[in-house]
Amino acid sequence: MTDARLSDFPVDDLISREALADERGLGDVVRQVIFGRISTQVAFFVVVVFVVVAILAPWIAPYDPVRQSILQINKHPSWDHWLGTDQFGRDVLSRMIHGSRNSLIFGLLSPVFAAFFGTILGVSAGYFGGIVDRLISRIVDMLMAFPELLLAILIAAALGGSFWNIVVVLTVAFTPGFARVARASTLAVKQEPYVEAAVAAGVSTPLIIFRHIVPNIAAPIVVLMTLWSASSIRIEATLSFLGIGTQPPNPSWGNIIRDGLSNMFATQWPIVAGGLAITIVVLAISILGDSVRDVLDPETAR
Amino acid sequence: MSEALLDIKDLTIEFGSGSQPLRVVDNISFAVSLGETVGIVGESGSGKSMTALSVLRLVPEGARVSGQIIFEGRDLLKLPKREMPAIRGKEIGMIFQEPMSSLNPLMTIGDQIDEAIRLHEDIPAPERRKRVLALLRLVGMPDPENRLSAYPDQFSGGMRQRVMAAIAMACNPKLLIADEPTTALDVTIQAQVLAMMLDIRARFNSSILLITHDLGVVAEICERVVVMYAGRILEDADARSLFSNARHPYTQGLLRSVPTLNDTRKRLYQIPGSVPPAGTIKAGCPFRPRCSVRMERCAVEMPPLRTYDPGHRVACWATAEAAA
Amino acid sequence: MARYLFFRLLDMVPTVFLVLTMVFIAMRILPGDPALVALGPNADGGQLEAFREKMGLNEPLGLQYVTFLSNAVRFDFGHSLMSDVPIGTLIANNLPHTIYLTIASVVLGLVMGIPFGVYAATQRNKLPDSALRIYSLIGYAIPDFYLAAVLLIVFSLNLGWFPINGEGSGFWDGLHHIFLPALTLAMLKSAFLGRLTRTSLLEVLGRDYVRTARAKGARESRVIYRHALRNAMLPLSTGIGISILATLSGSVAIELVFNRPGIGRLLINAIQERDYPVIQAGVMMFAFFVILVNLAMDIVYLIADPRIRMKS
Repeated sequence: MTDARLSDFPVDDLISREALADERGLGDVVRQVIFGRISTQVAFFVVVVFVVVAILAPWIAPYDPVRQSILQINKHPSWDHWLGTDQFGRDVLSRMIHGSRNSLIFGLLSPVFAAFFGTILGVSAGYFGGIVDRLISRIVDMLMAFPELLLAILIAAALGGSFWNIVVVLTVAFTPGFARVARASTLAVKQEPYVEAAVAAGVSTPLIIFRHIVPNIAAPIVVLMTLWSASSIRIEATLSFLGIGTQPPNPSWGNIIRDGLSNMFATQWPIVAGGLAITIVVLAISILGDSVRDVLDPETAR
Repeated sequence: MSEALLDIKDLTIEFGSGSQPLRVVDNISFAVSLGETVGIVGESGSGKSMTALSVLRLVPEGARVSGQIIFEGRDLLKLPKREMPAIRGKEIGMIFQEPMSSLNPLMTIGDQIDEAIRLHEDIPAPERRKRVLALLRLVGMPDPENRLSAYPDQFSGGMRQRVMAAIAMACNPKLLIADEPTTALDVTIQAQVLAMMLDIRARFNSSILLITHDLGVVAEICERVVVMYAGRILEDADARSLFSNARHPYTQGLLRSVPTLNDTRKRLYQIPGSVPPAGTIKAGCPFRPRCSVRMERCAVEMPPLRTYDPGHRVACWATAEAAA
Repeated sequence: MARYLFFRLLDMVPTVFLVLTMVFIAMRILPGDPALVALGPNADGGQLEAFREKMGLNEPLGLQYVTFLSNAVRFDFGHSLMSDVPIGTLIANNLPHTIYLTIASVVLGLVMGIPFGVYAATQRNKLPDSALRIYSLIGYAIPDFYLAAVLLIVFSLNLGWFPINGEGSGFWDGLHHIFLPALTLAMLKSAFLGRLTRTSLLEVLGRDYVRTARAKGARESRVIYRHALRNAMLPLSTGIGISILATLSGSVAIELVFNRPGIGRLLINAIQERDYPVIQAGVMMFAFFVILVNLAMDIVYLIADPRIRMKS
């Protein structure tokens, strides 16, 4: 489980009959999530703002995030530099804005990849059973024993940090969770009369999987994707902080704090800015994730 | 009627707030005398279990209880909350419906019975152990010495219900409340548990308040019967006159639906319809929609409990009219 | 019970084997020549060849694998490339600090989290409950290294109450040094454990046997601590196990922020210096930790729950 905290939501609980038998359209679900509670609306707004900032980064950042300036080192916030400058005279706000791209992209990419591979593994294990199931379950169980963050650190330690390496790291770290949910859901759906009927009628296996199984296990997978995009952002930040994620001079919120810490006697603004950004985004996405779960999966909603 | 041990007056239990609270028990009154066994009979949803729980003030959070529950001259509902533990288990013991889940899975049954004694009486451990063994023998547990250190999971439902009874009787309470003690058990085990209860009554001379939906169980051990329906008492009589001369159409229907050995009927009698959900009957008699002798008056006014023969109370307009 | 334990230990063998194999593969699928990566682009051919010879990289892959496995099970990790110190010594110097930090954090986290969770559960939907909800949400969102940095800036840098870095010498000085690092991890763990305690306790408080305890005449404090909490400890102990592992992974960043010795900092420094034997050893140490904690949790379950004890 991610750094312990995601296990607040036992994976098996993400699956329920309600979710499986859901007949609401995507539009209804999105509407219900967004127009749910006030906290959800605020969270949604926050996420939208951060995404827009990330997309528009090159146009709205006031300075070049990597340009150094001897004359401008360790400035406190001012009208010229809203968040001050760091020990290389780089504008912290510009680094934050550009850094949001590196931080958010992993939050979006890795859960998608992990969901893809996890679903393939989980559905294969659940649908085919036997030796396939035993092998996949064994590896998944073993990987699940590791906290995702530790798994990510260990893999990143071995691979080193480049953009695609980080994607690989996070994907590997999250895939087992998706595989477990997908397997459990598949086992449940497989028992449904309409699937048994399709099998009896001689419908081909790929068709059964794509027409019957996958659409019916989508809800728990989507819930997990939202919840884990928050973890993904936090883990990328940690890796970058440890120096094994996004590599300098490329900014990310994690390595902005890393640089800030080695310079904390001179200025503490980079640390505060980077940390707040991570905390706010992760908080907003988790609140959003909770709402998605409440709407898609009312049974486990608390 | 002799001196009342438990005297319930105008008991009302409501859930929810606002202008439309859900009333699960509606203004009921009855009494249990010393040494008497009273059965409360009703279908599920009649409010009989809530009534039982309210005596120990164990109704679920959010319920509002009003009226009086007078036990040995004290109104339990007016007692400060912190004084209730001294009464629970000591003065009033309780057996619950679900033997499979009513025992703590992490404590040995010996410890669980022992706790019931220790909470109320300051006696040394070896004597408590003797008492625990005596209690286990009393409830018919075979080989009690070797069962003390066993955990609930190692017992069947019937055996667990015996353990429950031992806990309830640990301090020789004046009143034993048994909430559907046999419902979850197999038929043969039911008979054993009933025999155990008769045995307990014979030895302790406790009063028993038995909650059940099973008229057969009532006939077996009760001296008096209170018939509840949708939160109200419809009939209250001693067992003999109830079984020989039921006056309320609901009770009559219940009795007709019990199969007997020399039954020549092709099909069992069934009261048409089902119990209305709590709170849906706004005015009049709750049984009216299913009643075969209903009158216009039943729709507007709830009939009061009226005494006919000594100790036989019935709430029915039709009965009243027939008697008049 | 002995039988169960035997099979549980037997069950670990493939896991350990799989972990070792994955480490072996990971260290060998690295892009580029490991010698070149390790020694840097300025190394000449002779140095590279000497390195390959020393690390056994010229052997056939199968033989390398066998050597690797046999060294690993004997806890022989070789020498550091940077300092030439035996890695066993490096681990012996650093491991106690990590274990000390983990234990201090988990204990502090339990002490803070469980009572908070119990209190929130008994005050359901009131102020303490909402407070716990907000605490746990923020505790989930805030990165450990950021919280560590904030505490460091406030309490060490500005107020000067605690030392800025290092591990201290002697018991009291050590305690003084470990307080902030442990508090950082403990706050995050208590957010998680508090929430988990509340959820498990509320679930248990609705059980029939809790009603039985009340019907016996047990007072509310006894009902909660003796009956409900003990049963809630079972799901909670899984959470504690997860918490220990999370604390272990969190300690990597915390050791870095507070500049404390430990396996995490050893690993991160080794990564920066491309000291592959040390990286390999550090990764394996963490992996073994995870396996051990999981085993310990199973044993705790076995001891705590008579139902499992009876079946095995």
